[in-house]
Amino acid sequence: MKFLHLVWKSLMRSKRRTFLILCTLILSVFLITILQSLLATLDAVSNKPTEGNRFVVRHKSGLTQFLPISYGEYLRQQPEVLAVANSQWFGGYYQDPKNFFANFANDETTMFQVFSDRISGLTEAEIKEYQRDRKGCIVGQILADKYGWKVGDTIPLTGTIFPMSPQLTIRGIFKGRMASEENTLYFHYKLLEEGVQFMKGKTGAFWIKTKTSDDIPRVANRIDTHFANSPVETMSEAENAFYLTFVKMLGNIGAIIHGVTIAVLIAITIVTVGTMSMAIKERTTEIAVLRAMGFSRARVLFLLMAEGLLLVTLGGALGIGLASLVAKILREILGSALIFLQDFRLANETILLCMGMALIIGFISTIIPALAATRRSIVEGLRAL
Amino acid sequence: MVLFVGFILVLFATYLAWLIYAAIKFPLPFVYNLRSLWGRKSSTLTTASAISLVVAIFIVVLSLAQGISKAFVTSGLPNQALVMRPSSRFELNSSITRDQARIIKSNPLVAKDNMNPIASAEVIVIKLFNKSDGVGSNITVRGMEVTGRSMRPQVKLVSGRWFQPGLSEVTVPVKMQLRFPELVVGRSFKMGGRQWDIVGTYDAAGSSFDSEIWSDVNDVMQAFKRETYSTVLVRLRSEDDLGSFTLQMEEEKRLKLEAVPERSYFKELTKAGDPIRIIGNLITVILSIGAMFSAMNTMYASVASRTKEIGTLRALGYRRREILASFQWEAIALCVLGGLGGSLLSFLADGIQTGTTSFDTFSDISFAFTITPRLLAQGLFFSVGMGILGGLLPAWRASNIPLTEAMKA
Repeated sequence: MKFLHLVWKSLMRSKRRTFLILCTLILSVFLITILQSLLATLDAVSNKPTEGNRFVVRHKSGLTQFLPISYGEYLRQQPEVLAVANSQWFGGYYQDPKNFFANFANDETTMFQVFSDRISGLTEAEIKEYQRDRKGCIVGQILADKYGWKVGDTIPLTGTIFPMSPQLTIRGIFKGRMASEENTLYFHYKLLEEGVQFMKGKTGAFWIKTKTSDDIPRVANRIDTHFANSPVETMSEAENAFYLTFVKMLGNIGAIIHGVTIAVLIAITIVTVGTMSMAIKERTTEIAVLRAMGFSRARVLFLLMAEGLLLVTLGGALGIGLASLVAKILREILGSALIFLQDFRLANETILLCMGMALIIGFISTIIPALAATRRSIVEGLRAL
Repeated sequence: MVLFVGFILVLFATYLAWLIYAAIKFPLPFVYNLRSLWGRKSSTLTTASAISLVVAIFIVVLSLAQGISKAFVTSGLPNQALVMRPSSRFELNSSITRDQARIIKSNPLVAKDNMNPIASAEVIVIKLFNKSDGVGSNITVRGMEVTGRSMRPQVKLVSGRWFQPGLSEVTVPVKMQLRFPELVVGRSFKMGGRQWDIVGTYDAAGSSFDSEIWSDVNDVMQAFKRETYSTVLVRLRSEDDLGSFTLQMEEEKRLKLEAVPERSYFKELTKAGDPIRIIGNLITVILSIGAMFSAMNTMYASVASRTKEIGTLRALGYRRREILASFQWEAIALCVLGGLGGSLLSFLADGIQTGTTSFDTFSDISFAFTITPRLLAQGLFFSVGMGILGGLLPAWRASNIPLTEAMKA
């Protein structure tokens, strides 16, 4: 610790150089942090440990095909099943196509059992009121705040997939665990069935809650076998697997992100090696003087290493700090392009990973010139004067 | 915004023109600086290789965005229109009855070929196929009338033959075969309760039809028990008729449909690439600023170690601005070296076929990374820009070292 001042002084020896390399480091760490967080957010979509005892039944041929609602009877009869809610992505917008958020037509009673973890904060009376009003809807807190909606407001929803534009009355504002859950609107399934002729008796998916998560493979298999070889075959999958199909739809984003991360890491390692060797070479005499004063090789090496590590620690910390500052803005931009990115955030693991990478870069780029400098004999170093 | 960008570009061009003039008029400092790049091999190489990585990423990201747009932009013809259900936005969401299709085809504005209207009633369905990594992806299956094929002249048969109506046959794009191993000519697959034979492959020249499977409209409708078409594609007698045709589709009591020019329909679809594009732009902007700082650092170091030489040049009678120009050239040369390296690196990604899925239509879009000369030129231009911006301050510093001090050093 007592050498901290000396290390700081040598870092500040060339303020401009330190400033410039710091900027490069900050920007690179910033970029890596954002990219890795992006990947972590996408991974989290299909990796929620709490969603264990829920699964989805949908048409085998794809998301745009519908199942008969009558299938629900069979699903409800399964002994492991607690509740079944039919659900359809409505894909409507509020006033302008840019005001895009998730909106579903859901069974107005069973949804509260099936999605009890996603929807909270509604009073018994509000739920009753919503269930009573065929044209009622419930909206998440974030959504209500964004558009200034209050309970009792009537909001127009313009359909894009379905030829229907309902006027909905807000009957309750609920809370969720994540931003994406609160950015959602639910309305009565029956309203969709009444409003759209080709949806009568059809649904996009059934969401099913079972007693335990261990039941899922068995029930899912039984359901798919039951409907196999019928004109409408089903595909049942656990909630996480269902979301994974959406994430996979983006294509190989993981490969792109990892590719860029590696390229950036190589680039900053090269640049930092260059800068550190410049900084150390300049001080050949100084190092020789330190050695002549009785500093051991190891101690000089330690001082030089401390200098490099201090530099990358500063760059890493500032880069991550910058990333957390813009995380909120990015969440808005990215969230509007892709609904899953509404939950974009910097996870602690990601921050640790990026800081670790910065430290490794600092270590590699300092040890090479530092070793060379300390190996040089004192006489040789002093001659450089 | 456009004005601002234009202003910056004009400024850049003027500066560059002056730099070229200075280099021609006073070749000595110019040559001296380029040689000193060679003299300081290791630091030149370090910076240039860092820059080359950045330029490579820049080119690859651009090619990605371009690949996605190309898939859509080249898909439509200017004199064709797509008739859809109002506000359905995508073919998949639309539905048109057989009666409506008949009325649309008999519209006098529709072009005719031997008395038959050039129009194709089509149906779009989605089918899940496995990609080579075992993950399923949705593919658009388009059922069309025979005229539909000739209405897309960019699509060419590559092997086998076209699907025949009534035989449950499909023709698949060559470009999709790499990513979807099931799509082999001679094999068959199950869809809508029927067996379908793959009888041929086609190439759609990078348009969005490279991401579809084609079959006969009636076969697909029967298999999926559909009563309605999705859309009707019509060719108009001339491009000028688009406006009045749209109006007629809307106002005709039996139709009340929306006609969209084919070109603008596909333009709308390019939005599917937005998430990738946003991320790509973010990456490039941040990286280029970082690389600029790094180039600046190298240049400052190079200026600092040559104070004496700069003093000599000044003593020989070269003015400050000539020194500025020659150091600016050194920075540009450094970055262009990186740019050339980056262009070479970017060829590693050339030709890789990949895909993403449109969240609007839930179906797969294939596209390829193609490194074109235009992209390489953009990469080089980009590196010149980095050189100018990164070298400006160090060059300014070089030109402002007081003569007396420079001689003392």
